[in-house]
Amino acid sequence: MFRIIALVSLMLTKTVFASSTMMPLADVQMTQDMESIKRGAMVYYNTCRLCHGMKYIKYQNLQEIGFNVSEIDKLRGEKLISEKMISRMTEDVSLEYYGMVPPDLSVMAKARKHGPQYIYTLITSYTEKDNVYDNSFFPGIKMPDIFNISLAKGDLAKSVIEGKAKDVTEFLTWAADPRAAERKNLGKYVIAYLIILSIMFYAVMKRVWSRLDT
Amino acid sequence: MKKVVGWIDQRFPLTAFIKHELTEYPTPRNLSYWWNFGSLAGVVLVIQIITGIFLAMHYKADAAMAFDSVEHIMRDVNYGWLIRFMHSTGATAFFAVIFIHMARTLYYGSYRAPREIMWWTGQVLLLLLMATAFMGYLLPWGQMSYWGAQVITSLFGAVPFLGDELVIWLRGDFTVGDATLTRFFALHYLVPFIIVGAVLIHLVALHQVRSSNPSGINLADKDNIPFHPYFTVKDLFGLCVFLTIYSYFVFYNPNLFIEADNYIPANPMQTPVHIVPEWYFLPFYAILRSVPDLLGGVIAMAISVMIFAAMPYLDRSKIPGGARYRPFYRIMFYIFVLNVIVLGYVGAKPPEGYLVPLGQFATFLYFGMFILLPFGSKIEEKWLIERGLPAEVEALIAGEEKQKGDRRKKKDRRQGKEASGDV
Repeated sequence: MFRIIALVSLMLTKTVFASSTMMPLADVQMTQDMESIKRGAMVYYNTCRLCHGMKYIKYQNLQEIGFNVSEIDKLRGEKLISEKMISRMTEDVSLEYYGMVPPDLSVMAKARKHGPQYIYTLITSYTEKDNVYDNSFFPGIKMPDIFNISLAKGDLAKSVIEGKAKDVTEFLTWAADPRAAERKNLGKYVIAYLIILSIMFYAVMKRVWSRLDT
Repeated sequence: MKKVVGWIDQRFPLTAFIKHELTEYPTPRNLSYWWNFGSLAGVVLVIQIITGIFLAMHYKADAAMAFDSVEHIMRDVNYGWLIRFMHSTGATAFFAVIFIHMARTLYYGSYRAPREIMWWTGQVLLLLLMATAFMGYLLPWGQMSYWGAQVITSLFGAVPFLGDELVIWLRGDFTVGDATLTRFFALHYLVPFIIVGAVLIHLVALHQVRSSNPSGINLADKDNIPFHPYFTVKDLFGLCVFLTIYSYFVFYNPNLFIEADNYIPANPMQTPVHIVPEWYFLPFYAILRSVPDLLGGVIAMAISVMIFAAMPYLDRSKIPGGARYRPFYRIMFYIFVLNVIVLGYVGAKPPEGYLVPLGQFATFLYFGMFILLPFGSKIEEKWLIERGLPAEVEALIAGEEKQKGDRRKKKDRRQGKEASGDV
């Protein structure tokens, strides 16, 4: 059974890697550090939210990543705390500017293969040549280079932007699966319990079966 | 307590039932861990039904709300993420367990007389399980859900004359839409209970013919032990090991078995680059694509699932122990398993380059083995008998014959007594 599961999972992961035929994804690992997620939330709030909504995240959900009520009050303004974080641009306007509605970002980190790496690579792959902007990871993308990474001069300026990109990716990773931390925490106890129970049943089994050997 | 049981026993055969089916139910003592997977499948079925009922309390079977309601379950419902991931991982676990259960039956030849009805009810269960899984996969209403259902329902269009009508009838609309979603939801809720009924028939048949065992022949009474406590505790141990592995996937890797594309809401205007079914359908999907003609492909796929039912007739050898004492059959078994994995790999990839001929070769091999089996098994049987069976098999057969003889004598004696008593 283990062998079959291992084989199947191997097959699945191989498929995943084989289908990303574009340029290689950046090798960033999500730490889900609370400070970084919180900074990322502010980046989203001030920048991404101009065009992208996050319909599954309500203002009150920000409490889960370390915002206190007064901070949230400042962000939400007139809006209710139970309201969704929607884009500041209405659909009509975005249709007029871009010819499409920019995708909602709530589940983006799980809606792409290797989602977090995908997002990070995408927002850090903008290029500029003779005043023509493009994205080497997603050629022809309609989203502008909002962090101006294509114009960044020098490693320092670039690394500041990469830090911002990392933060916002951490935030989107959290938003796609806000129960991940709770899940992994509970998982430890469940699996520990099951391992102990397995050992105990094994001992009981050996004992019960030993009656037969006489 | 005794009084209560006595009161019940006068009205309902409770004690007799427990004795007959549990504490005195004779089970071969040489069963290996491969025999754990039947009860495991039963437990997974229960997990799926319970988590499914709780999911249905929060899910909205409506094309405009289905996707949102699944996210609502995973974010806002207390432990909603847990029931959802238990259910989605449970589907994978169910197929993994069933495939191993089937592989065990094939390896040890457990489908042979007198266990044909067990094997056929199992075949029906497999079909019901596949139908349920397929319909359940539409419910999250993601891109892969939608396009998977679109592709599979369109296959019915290959039916001559009625095809187009049939597809519309199945979908309830010209394309997969709200009507399809609501009917799939209704059926996805219904069919599991039909599965429960079919499982009961499977178990009634089992308790008639009793478990097969690795030796392949019915063991003498001394080698049968009561199911309880020996196999209850063994099944519980196996269950705990299984649940540990299952929990790893539920808690640490729940999205492994969910395509990323399925977190994009269904969009009838945009086809995903590459539509893939769930892993458990991949080998059959590869067979479908390997036949150049659509109708031929659909027929080949249907036969590839149903052909297992013919196994009791295709395998004509009488040598006991399935693959254990049969080198030719054993090699065939391993090639078959490997071939199914190759088909799964081909099914997961776009049909390009060397994968097309590889898929066709694997499909040819898949059916070729079933066609070869009746002749191969007969030749192998003849060869094995000429060569002489291994001593342990001979001993087992002799032991069983002797015991049968003893039983017959005892029975004759008893009947003789009864006959004289009558006079």
